[in-house]
Amino acid sequence: MKVTIERAALLRALGHVHRVVERRTTIPILANVLIDASAGTLMLKATDLDLEITEKVSADIGQPSATTLPAHTLYDIVRKLPEGAQVSIEGSGEQGQLTLRSGRSRFNLQSLPESDFPDVTSGEFSHSFSLPPADLKKLILKTQFAISSEETRYYLNGIFLHVAEVEGHQLLRAVATDGHRLARVELPAPAGSAGMPGVILPRKAVNEILRLVEDAEGAVAIELSTNKMRFSFGETVLTTKLIDGTFPDYGRVIPANNDKRLTVERGVFREAVDRVSTISSERGRAVKLALSEGRLVLSVTNPDQGSAVEEIEADYDGPPIDIGFNSRYLLDIADQLDSDTALFRLADPGSPTLIQDRDGASALYVLMPMRV
Amino acid sequence: MASQRKIIHVDMDAFYASVEQRDNPQLRGRPVAVGSPRARGVVAAASYEARAFGVRSAMPSVTAMRRCPDLVFAPPRFDVYREVSRRIRAIFLDYTPLVEPLSLDEAYLDVTDNRKRIASATRIAEEIRARIREETRLTASAGVSYNKFLAKLASDQNKPNGLFVIPPDKGADFVAALPIGKFHGVGPATTKKMNALGIETGLDLRAKTLPFLQMHFGKAGGYYYGIARGVDDREVRPDRIRKSIGAEVTFAQDLFALDEAVAALAPIVTRVAAHCEGARITGRTVTVKVKYADFQQITRRSTSVAPIASRAALEAAARALLHPLFPSPKGVRLLGVTLSSLAPAGEAVDSQLSLGV
Repeated sequence: MKVTIERAALLRALGHVHRVVERRTTIPILANVLIDASAGTLMLKATDLDLEITEKVSADIGQPSATTLPAHTLYDIVRKLPEGAQVSIEGSGEQGQLTLRSGRSRFNLQSLPESDFPDVTSGEFSHSFSLPPADLKKLILKTQFAISSEETRYYLNGIFLHVAEVEGHQLLRAVATDGHRLARVELPAPAGSAGMPGVILPRKAVNEILRLVEDAEGAVAIELSTNKMRFSFGETVLTTKLIDGTFPDYGRVIPANNDKRLTVERGVFREAVDRVSTISSERGRAVKLALSEGRLVLSVTNPDQGSAVEEIEADYDGPPIDIGFNSRYLLDIADQLDSDTALFRLADPGSPTLIQDRDGASALYVLMPMRV
Repeated sequence: MASQRKIIHVDMDAFYASVEQRDNPQLRGRPVAVGSPRARGVVAAASYEARAFGVRSAMPSVTAMRRCPDLVFAPPRFDVYREVSRRIRAIFLDYTPLVEPLSLDEAYLDVTDNRKRIASATRIAEEIRARIREETRLTASAGVSYNKFLAKLASDQNKPNGLFVIPPDKGADFVAALPIGKFHGVGPATTKKMNALGIETGLDLRAKTLPFLQMHFGKAGGYYYGIARGVDDREVRPDRIRKSIGAEVTFAQDLFALDEAVAALAPIVTRVAAHCEGARITGRTVTVKVKYADFQQITRRSTSVAPIASRAALEAAARALLHPLFPSPKGVRLLGVTLSSLAPAGEAVDSQLSLGV
């Protein structure tokens, strides 16, 4: 192998792929990145057996061949090289060693054979469509906070993507829930998505997609089948296995008849929740919302530390009601809303509350109260 | 040398099982296991009648029933055990504030300067045993010596319902005569290794130099060197606040397959869960420790938002952490499970309701 490439191009590509590699893997080949040099292109590939990212960059290929090198070490080396440097990688005389040269630096790196590198993502896709980067980002960013980390309910450890028909419109929906709260975002279904199977996109893929979508320029091509999904961001391609499970029938927990409407200024509300929750050092302490006509009183009581109260203006004309919520959950949702005004639809202190942007129907959040 | 300490180790006899036999006359004289007879159940405690058949705590219930077909299972009643434990602790505190509970049924007491100004630690141990018998109708064994290591060894000597004293001038001799496997902190795996090095008894251990022991056993070498000479400077610490609850097992033979590891995990999880339940503690962070045949050690942990309150939840979390480590390229010689981010159970002020998805 002999490859020459600009440091910036190599760093960018490694930056995209190396995160996939688990820092603490017990299988040596999985600590490596595959490097495949052929006809003017260098292809990099990393996998953890569930998720794979490949990226192609142009390079000066002196002698085509493929090998694998320790991913994090290679990334760290390239990162530390000076800006504007040229990097060359070539097979050295010794068995299994590669030499990386740049300026006056020289590194001899132990490689593992390319043939040991697993291929876990081959196979056909049944559906394909494309989304503008902003739409993909919205679907994922606004739901990912609600993904469950409880490993016993593995089918909640990701975002459920499916197409639903509502009043004759086809919608592409992203849903995540951890059993306490639920986030649902929808968009008009893109061409090609009709009839796609509902799939659960695992958390790690979600995190990487969010990173890659930031750098994406054109539309993102998406392909999927029942057990895997591929996102192509130009020359960077992410392929992931999907969570093999059944996402629960989430529609049942979205309340349809909550009649008490509360509207607050989102920023004011968020800051007030943040302030009063200072008094509870533990996570997950409840903030009590006491609603009465035209006003909302937020309070937190911590037997060990004291209490905090703050009143904010609110548009509410229902009967007085006290309801408690996990302060962290309220902040998470307030952070995802877009409009200046947040709309709460409540039923009673023991039933799910619906939270939305005042006018936007595309994102919806359901939050279960805490008993206070 | 600092003035000689007087340490008592009190250990209830077959605690959970004895409580069940006390409260249910039909169980008396019969082999009893506290735990569940279900297929995947594990014995939490065994009565002496059951132990005669080879039934041991942390043994899978299926194995226990094979060894003792007449075994009677009693479901655990941790509330009762806790209450008894509280009463025993109150007795200890009559004698000294320096009480370090190890679990519900075991504690170290430092009675060097005791509240009753009784000079003889042996007399105190006898009084405590008599009061436990009188107030709880249960028996305890006690060991008396000048450090924790020997006191614990001593309490095991005349079990059940016995007392044993190791006076300062007998400590080293007592240790010398003991088979190595009887030492606290020396499990089956270490025993095997020591035997291979020609160490069968405390005397053999004493013959080894400190560098030799450190070379073969690392940090533990220093501890072994001390105890071989009857030396143990650890203090009785009444203020010990537990940050974590854990258990681990070193296997006689290395494990390679996931199902072997999952099976090996069950008794470890049971021990941790029983301790948590006993102490009324829950935690949110589960750590699984794996030591490979080449002594490389790795840990994997996960933290959940909600407290892990049941044995099943603990096992599920531990398994999920173990899963990605298999198939394992190397043999696994040790597995451990630890629960941390502890909080008192059942005292959450606020309770999050569930959506019911």
